Amino acid sequence: MNNNKSAFELKTVLETSRILVESRDSSFILNNLLLIIMGRLLATRSAVFIHDNTSNGQYILKEAKGLPHLQKGETFEISVPAAKKERSYFSMETVTGLEEVIRDEEKGKFRLFNLRTMDHHHGYLLLGPKANKQQFYKHELEFVESLCLISTAALVNSELFEELKKTHRNLDRRIHELNTLFDLSKEFNVLTDRKQIARIFKLTLLGQLFIRTFFLVYQNEDTPRLITYNGLNTSLSQQEVEKIFNEVRSDIFVSDWEEEEKHPWVTENGISALIPISIQNTQVALIGVGQRVNRVDFNENDINFLKSLANLAVISIQKTFFLEEQIDMERMEEELSIAKSIQQGLLPDPVPEIPGTDLAAKTVSSREVGGDYFDVATTPDGSTILSIADVTGKGVPAALLMANLQSMLHVLLPVEISLKEATERMNSIMYKNTPADKFITFFWAKYNSDHQTLSYVNAGHNPPLLLRNGSETFEELSEGGLLLGALESTIPYVQTTIQLNRGDLLVCYTDGVTEASPVNQEEKEFGVERLQQSILKNRSATTSEILDAIITDVNGYSHNNISDDLTLLILKVIE
Amino acid sequence: MKSFKIEQRTNRGFEVLDLHGELDAHTASELEEALLKLIKNKKANIIVNFNGLDYIASAGLGVFMAYIEDVREIGGDIKLTNMNNKVYNVFDLLGFPTLYDILEDENMAVQKFLKEQ
Repeated sequence: MNNNKSAFELKTVLETSRILVESRDSSFILNNLLLIIMGRLLATRSAVFIHDNTSNGQYILKEAKGLPHLQKGETFEISVPAAKKERSYFSMETVTGLEEVIRDEEKGKFRLFNLRTMDHHHGYLLLGPKANKQQFYKHELEFVESLCLISTAALVNSELFEELKKTHRNLDRRIHELNTLFDLSKEFNVLTDRKQIARIFKLTLLGQLFIRTFFLVYQNEDTPRLITYNGLNTSLSQQEVEKIFNEVRSDIFVSDWEEEEKHPWVTENGISALIPISIQNTQVALIGVGQRVNRVDFNENDINFLKSLANLAVISIQKTFFLEEQIDMERMEEELSIAKSIQQGLLPDPVPEIPGTDLAAKTVSSREVGGDYFDVATTPDGSTILSIADVTGKGVPAALLMANLQSMLHVLLPVEISLKEATERMNSIMYKNTPADKFITFFWAKYNSDHQTLSYVNAGHNPPLLLRNGSETFEELSEGGLLLGALESTIPYVQTTIQLNRGDLLVCYTDGVTEASPVNQEEKEFGVERLQQSILKNRSATTSEILDAIITDVNGYSHNNISDDLTLLILKVIE
Repeated sequence: MKSFKIEQRTNRGFEVLDLHGELDAHTASELEEALLKLIKNKKANIIVNFNGLDYIASAGLGVFMAYIEDVREIGGDIKLTNMNNKVYNVFDLLGFPTLYDILEDENMAVQKFLKEQ
């Protein structure tokens, strides 16, 4: 009989081990363990408590039979005296923590079995009492012991398997994310349209991370702007964009953000995380995302992936802005070269001839367009207007003012009006139409070739130099008044008339001539004295030869470093 | 060049979109258009048959997330069927099965729709 029984028990152990080897489901293993034991020992109550690795002394109820008042997942603080811990099974005296499970007077009918592998304690199996009120026999307890042993081993295996499966899945996900990033970087690379980039970014957030609500701010030329968004309830004002961009300097989870109430917009729109994006240590963008569609919280991996994704998109967006800037610059250059040819068209070419004189004039521009101006034009009474001017500043603004001056001059040309009055009119128009820091130095003169008289008004321009025939010193034509556009015409301009004679030489110039200096030696200007020497040296030559000689001297002196526009107008009376 | 094609037909009154080729960031817009058109015409019970689809990129996945709420709002659903293992793995990895009915074949989707009606 006994032999038969132990053979049967052995068979059960073998059978169980075979089932367990196959099984990777921990709840199946424990369930199976309890049912076999209860069936074989005719026990009515049993339970398995597994040690909680995260907190010492805590056990979690995994399976229970015949104990309907217990809930799976409940925790118990089971305390077993050290002497008993080493044993495979033991009685319940001196064990505490299971008072809720069994009444004190029943304690003697229960046994605890140690669920352990070679070196590790995993939990306890609680068993008892028999339905027929008999004692547990030793061979029965040993039978349970062996079943516990193989079940625990199977349990550990199943946990390892679960762990492995989880790791494998995580790895799979990482690989998938990497592939996604790789695909996207290829995708974004060929895109120059921000809308397309934003669209793919949106779809990827949706498909990959289940993020429906988001916004992306990108800082371009110091201004953060909303580039793309989705699923927002209320629109984001530019002011709010700047506030959020400037105040969020590290990853923020809105649920534990202390400054949440400062940004009501964030909560109103269900934004749950704010993440700044930096390129080369400079924060260039900010992404805010809402909760996921499946309500699963973001883990560290998700946030990292989100960052990589946003980084890719931001780099591509940055690229599109760079590209636009470049295109703008090329267009600007093209327009400037057109402007230059228009501006050159405003200067008299060829310079008209005046009877009895030799006349030359020329502007050398340092840039595409500039603010220097000269003109030679005939008036209805047969006189000739000579003018030279320099607009403050350089480039396009100066060129626009110069064109304005040119048209005013030509409008006033046929009007019967004195130089002095015309200068006043020009000043008041300039004063009204230009900002306070824009003005023009202007010299103009009316030359009557019959009488060889020159009437002039000098409005703040470098005084033209008059070298009388036979003289070694220069007279300066400085009478006139304030430069144009600086103040209202309250003090009238002064008009002066001088008599010119044969051999007299008049040189008008802009400050580009006298202020030319070698590179990095701004204090060493060419100056009026060198200009006078250059004129004296070449006084017997033709005006165009004198002009070229002066330019050659200026170039030689400054080592061809002419940084400003340079204009010369030279008149010599030859009859 | 990657080829992608959508064919549209009906199966027992339900709209079926057959996907072929590779669904990526470029081709995603075609699927978007097809879904938008169905939604506009209030054809809300949609089966997407993946039988001919070899590859799906994340932007492609995004399209399904982007329109499912619109479809459900007008009382319909999008059911996904006949995925090959590679494609199913991607959907599974990202957790789509908790949000979508993903079925082995088209008839199962038809049966499910009929039961739901």
